[in-house]
Amino acid sequence: MLGFAKPSSLRRHGIMGMNGRNVNYIARHNPRHLYPNVDNKYLTKKRCAEQGISVPVLLGVCRMQGQIAELREFLSPLKQFVIKPAKGSGGKGILVITGRDGESYRKSSGQLISHAELCRHVSNTLSGLFSLSGAPDVAMIEDLVEFTDDFEGFSYQGVPDVRVIVYRGYPVMAMTRLSTEASDGKANLHQGAVGVGIDIVSGAALQAVQHDKPVSHHPDTGKELAQLQVPYWRQLLLLASRGFEVSQMGYLGVDIVLDKNLGPLLLELNARPGLAIQVANGMGLKPRLKAIDRHIAQLAEAASAEDAEQRVDTILSLFTAE
Amino acid sequence: MVSPNRQIILLALLLSLLGFGAAAYKHFALGFPLLASQQETVWQVEASITFEAGDSPIQVMMNLPDSNYQTVVESSNFKIPGYGYSRSANDAVQFGHWQGSGFKGEQQIYFRAESLRRADTPYKDEQAAKPEAFTAMMPRLAEEELVAARLLLANAEDDLPRAQILSIVDLLNRRNDENAELLLQQYGSAQQRNWLAGQLLTLQGYAVEVVGGIELDDERKRQSLQHFLDIQLPDGHLLVDTRELAILPWHQAMLFKRGNQPLLEVFGGTDSTITFATVTRQRAAFTSAVEAARVAASPLVDFSIYSLPLAEQSTFKLLLVIPLGALVVVILRNLIGVRTSGTFMPVLIALSFLQTSLLTGLILFVLVVGVGLVLRSYLSHLNLLLVPRIASVLVFVIIIYAAIGILSSKLGWQGGLKVTFFPMIILAWTIERMSILWDEEGGREVAIQGGGSLITACLAYLLMASEIVADTVFLYPELLLVLLAIIIAIGSYSGYRLSDLRRFESMERY
Repeated sequence: MLGFAKPSSLRRHGIMGMNGRNVNYIARHNPRHLYPNVDNKYLTKKRCAEQGISVPVLLGVCRMQGQIAELREFLSPLKQFVIKPAKGSGGKGILVITGRDGESYRKSSGQLISHAELCRHVSNTLSGLFSLSGAPDVAMIEDLVEFTDDFEGFSYQGVPDVRVIVYRGYPVMAMTRLSTEASDGKANLHQGAVGVGIDIVSGAALQAVQHDKPVSHHPDTGKELAQLQVPYWRQLLLLASRGFEVSQMGYLGVDIVLDKNLGPLLLELNARPGLAIQVANGMGLKPRLKAIDRHIAQLAEAASAEDAEQRVDTILSLFTAE
Repeated sequence: MVSPNRQIILLALLLSLLGFGAAAYKHFALGFPLLASQQETVWQVEASITFEAGDSPIQVMMNLPDSNYQTVVESSNFKIPGYGYSRSANDAVQFGHWQGSGFKGEQQIYFRAESLRRADTPYKDEQAAKPEAFTAMMPRLAEEELVAARLLLANAEDDLPRAQILSIVDLLNRRNDENAELLLQQYGSAQQRNWLAGQLLTLQGYAVEVVGGIELDDERKRQSLQHFLDIQLPDGHLLVDTRELAILPWHQAMLFKRGNQPLLEVFGGTDSTITFATVTRQRAAFTSAVEAARVAASPLVDFSIYSLPLAEQSTFKLLLVIPLGALVVVILRNLIGVRTSGTFMPVLIALSFLQTSLLTGLILFVLVVGVGLVLRSYLSHLNLLLVPRIASVLVFVIIIYAAIGILSSKLGWQGGLKVTFFPMIILAWTIERMSILWDEEGGREVAIQGGGSLITACLAYLLMASEIVADTVFLYPELLLVLLAIIIAIGSYSGYRLSDLRRFESMERY
């Protein structure tokens, strides 16, 4: 009707709105003092390491402008690496070096940059150019993730990641974001990346949306999106589930990439995950969140709790029946 | 422990109750008008005292007008050069004193007073039930006159008090009645005739006092003091004009003296006269309500914005509409889901629109931000640190202001000069944020957020610029509590936004 859904029918589908997310889930389950755990990627990484959670390997951290002089020696043994700001947002300030050409570094786009330019990038990062509030930051130097080939043809340039919503430690919904020409190679749904809903039980593609409209094929590669199957699914769910232990956030978005050799790696946590995942999955979040609430209430009655493995088993059985 | 949701409902109810309650009290009990634009007539009486100065120091004493059952009198004394002014109260009688020396020739002293209606008594009723400094006169007729008066009174009709009073006063108008003629021979002047009517009523058993004052029904210059009767009845006091044979509403008179009090005494001068001029003035009805309530020391008004100096009041009048802008932002963001650049930036822009007018404001805003974005795009290449970058944008903004001001002035468009009403720092931040948004999310997002900001600002402006709305919050600032209740209630709203309905439209099919 006039391009607007009826509230009653959205409620019937259990769709969560912006206010509902903010009032009932984020405000209730994500205490403010825990935000640094997710907003600072360096802190996230440190806590992941403590918990034994796989993350892209951290090679080093540049904390002070004075350390920039040591960069040349530090980077000399490295062929490929990623420099990213710890408090960056929206993928800003991430420099991906895939190789060398003499004294220069080769970026993922194929462009060359000199060592001086790289140093300036790090200097900008430290002075807070990429952090949202302009606060001083640190630059992390990470090993480059070697992406699995399983997404071959499903993405235009860029690297697809898997976003899992984890509620009170239980993965409840997942999608993968595929970059397109329109999104300029970025996995950002706002800019026109394709969101593909992933069945939380099997890891198989459900359906896909671009700009909140359903699509069946990748707009650039023409590949049928329904054929997408995320490998290592259980491992991936386990990783997402353990994101709760890292952050202690009750309503969490966990971003995961698949490394060819290392399997799923936890890339980033998000305390305010978006709602588009519902469109990509063709279902509302609320019924699943309520199912988890009920399950936890039952556990509480029995005075027990579940670890990450058990939580994954629980959701596999809970949501298979759906 | 009450759950947060119930707390919110209780709090919102409590705030609304407080707000509406205080507003209702002010309207019904203190007589505040519903609309600030409501006008009412205020009577101003100017007394002009003239006399011939003698050799000795001069002292002038005037009986000041008193508040009566339905009005509050505010005396404003403006300075007469060379005279010192003071006030004194003597047995609840207020006197004004002017003192000076070394004057020659004719002297003139002015005094002005305004009659404000009382808020706590009904305005229309001519009877008012508030006994104040009332002292009934004693029978003072000589024996012979008393006989005549008794005979005259035998003609009085037996009637309800009000009709009877008028009929008794009318007895003095009987032609060819020897008793009336006898009495009027003794007491012929207007003042004496009034006193005589008072005596007749006293004989008949009424409690009567002679009062002197000015009737407020016409704008008149150079009138002299008139004499009336204040008659006490069980249910209130009547003011009777014996000459016109009419009962006057109390608010239609300003009384200067009661009984035998003197009106004017001049020491050190001769030939003193006092004349009165009455003038009407239109003014906002609420001003009188405020002043009357202040005279009555009503705490709700005494400790309010109206107790501030006028200049500050107008500042607060502007501040009071800002919550309305905030409400617009809350509604557009949380109920509609409009995305804006900077949460409360639109309110500040709307405030600027109040100064520039809407169309001029819109043109100027788009101009400044547009040019600012172009200039800012150059800074993107320089990779400056954040604070110097915004400081540079701020300098750009000032330069753009100056350029627009100078160019529009040269072209003869005065509207361009109003660009200075925009908050510079806010504009600099807006440009910075939009520029980053452009780099990160593309021009489409800039258009969405910029457009959203402008729509929000326009709506906020329309609400804040509405005279009715602004006057209402100024008259009843306690309504802001109701506004707060609404905002708090929206703050706990977890239902869908309109934008959610749009965005999840495709979900209906599943």
